[in-house]
Amino acid sequence: MTDRTADSVGTPESVDAILDSLDTDSLAGYNYAYLDEHTKREVRRSILSAIALPGHQVPFASRAMPLARGWGTGGMQASLSLLGPQDTFKVIDQGSDESVNAANIRRLAAKTTDIETTTDATAASIIQSRHRIPEAVLDEDQILVLQVPVTDALRRVDGSDDANRRRHAHRNYSKMWVALYENVVEYGEIKLSSRYPVMVAGRYLMDPSPIPRWDVPKLDDADNLFVFAAGREARIYAVPPHTDVEPLAFEDREFQVERFPGQACRRCGSTDTFLIEVETDDGERQYACNDTSFCQKRSASPALSKAHHREGDDHAWGPPTDPSISVPERSASPAGATADDAETSREEGDRR
Amino acid sequence: MGYVAVEAGEDVIQRAEELFEKQRVDGESDQLSVEQVDDQFGRLTDRAMSEGGVYAPRLAALAVKQAQGDTAEAAFLLRAYRSTLERFDETVPTSPARIRPSRRVSPAYKDVPGGQVLGATKDYTQRLLDFDLADDDGVDPTADWDIDAESPPNLRNVLAVLRSEGLVHDPEPPAETDDAGEATPPVDTTREPVTFPASRAAVLQELARGETGAITALGYSELRGYGQVHPTLGEVRTGELPVVIEHPYTGDEVEVTTTEVTETECVVPRYETADEPQFSFGYGCVFGRTERKAIGMSILDAAIQLDGSEPAQDAEFVLDLVDGIDSFGFIEHLKLPHYVTFQSILDRIRSIRRRTADATSDEAASTAEVSADD
Repeated sequence: MTDRTADSVGTPESVDAILDSLDTDSLAGYNYAYLDEHTKREVRRSILSAIALPGHQVPFASRAMPLARGWGTGGMQASLSLLGPQDTFKVIDQGSDESVNAANIRRLAAKTTDIETTTDATAASIIQSRHRIPEAVLDEDQILVLQVPVTDALRRVDGSDDANRRRHAHRNYSKMWVALYENVVEYGEIKLSSRYPVMVAGRYLMDPSPIPRWDVPKLDDADNLFVFAAGREARIYAVPPHTDVEPLAFEDREFQVERFPGQACRRCGSTDTFLIEVETDDGERQYACNDTSFCQKRSASPALSKAHHREGDDHAWGPPTDPSISVPERSASPAGATADDAETSREEGDRR
Repeated sequence: MGYVAVEAGEDVIQRAEELFEKQRVDGESDQLSVEQVDDQFGRLTDRAMSEGGVYAPRLAALAVKQAQGDTAEAAFLLRAYRSTLERFDETVPTSPARIRPSRRVSPAYKDVPGGQVLGATKDYTQRLLDFDLADDDGVDPTADWDIDAESPPNLRNVLAVLRSEGLVHDPEPPAETDDAGEATPPVDTTREPVTFPASRAAVLQELARGETGAITALGYSELRGYGQVHPTLGEVRTGELPVVIEHPYTGDEVEVTTTEVTETECVVPRYETADEPQFSFGYGCVFGRTERKAIGMSILDAAIQLDGSEPAQDAEFVLDLVDGIDSFGFIEHLKLPHYVTFQSILDRIRSIRRRTADATSDEAASTAEVSADD
């Protein structure tokens, strides 16, 4: 079987020929979805390896992209390798489809492929996202590609990739546990904000990318595939559908998500979404949904469920914003912060 | 409405691009042609090619023009273009002895086989602004030199002298065949990701593609108190290195073109074993005439082989930092929105502050109160 399309790209005859070919307006001279077929196949194989070993970081020969390193080159390579002509693509940057970098990534994909683009998370077959998992529940036929700046959760405790690979091989995460324990001793709780370390399928410690802790529970037993791709670091990893994903925590110091007590989105009134603070010109602090596309839907229809597209399958997704609002909890979803047993402080803390 | 999501979309990107391009054409003067950049800004195009990892002077000139002289950006343009090209052949390894030198100096020996060839350099020029250049186009000061047309000599490698004496501890050569007896293909870090411990070939390739400033700074660290590699340079040479391939039909080796390279070799005394002190060996070779990068590279190669505890002796530290495309991309990505992660950090800081405040006022109740608040 051959899927070489190098012929269609054409081997340049001379520098002048290359310069001439650059005179056109479009991306003539580039392959479908920008990358050559060998590269796309290599990336897809890495994704398959990653799916076979949930949470394990698979090295791949990350190519230079026409986007700066650190701006989503890994996610771009994963998305472009997966996008076929039937796909519908959505790009989000920190919750927004219209953020300039998201628009730029979408523009490259649209320019080099035949795909449709959308801002509706329920309509996309592939979603590339930086630092958020959408509010709308994702389905089994959807792939979420997350852009990853730091691939290894252990980087927080040791800068050496060599040493950390050995730790992963031995499932030796003691250094991470000790660091978390020291957190508790020093600050009374775990001070990790985003990039919260999770155990995947009880085997690999994984950095879930800088999604807020709010989004971490969505990784657990999800219907969709999560692909994590890091261009600068040349690593791909994955969480396949229905995989156990558990944030590291202690029995007496449970995993806590961000809370916005008593706050609702000022635009759509939602109280069950991840909010961000907005300081207005007159110095007032207000809160608004971070997921702008879902916020628009909620504005139009305030009672809309996060699972509205799933025909009665009211699958809760993420924690409630306000502890007083009850949302059908999934069995595996972790508690938000519940009242802690201050009296029963445990020497060892570690539940493992 | 106070709340404005930083929205922009494709229109705004397009306009930002157009404003950037306007800065290039806005002046009163004539526009630079790609030929002018190629002819007159060789140091810029050299840097772009060296850091971009592709030898293509006219494309480099185009990249420099398009990037308005930003070499990091120009190198980035070249790399992004390079990654879309099919790699259709591998060259036959060419000995550096075949470099046709235009310059070769040896700091190690006063007299070397073939002699010192100073060539074109600014090293001994007094750095005074030449105000004549401001309104003068300049003339060729060598126009009436009597240069003989003899082909430049092939100069014997200076370190060959030390090698023949057995004084150089050469690094282990890479295995030519793998366990199954198959010939091992050359390492290419653009096709296989670097993992550690990295082979020396991978180290050298990453250093050769490194950012000039980073290579210079990390190399300097070894001389400036964070290491002990104070090398003696066997030689620094600049010249045209033949590119040789196997002819696809005859199988004969044929020279197809040349690339201009700067090569340097350094030695560092090594007293590991008292009975056999030797010189350790560092190698640098980069596209174009970027001597400081070649020298920095040779220091780092030697330092990494020492595998000591100083920063520049740690291959992971050096290789993770020297790539300009990686570092400039990630540094500049900080301009992207970080609302989500920042919100998450605010949550932690406020929570811990509350806990601390509560602990001060009422130690016993603190934990329960914070948690309920969360």
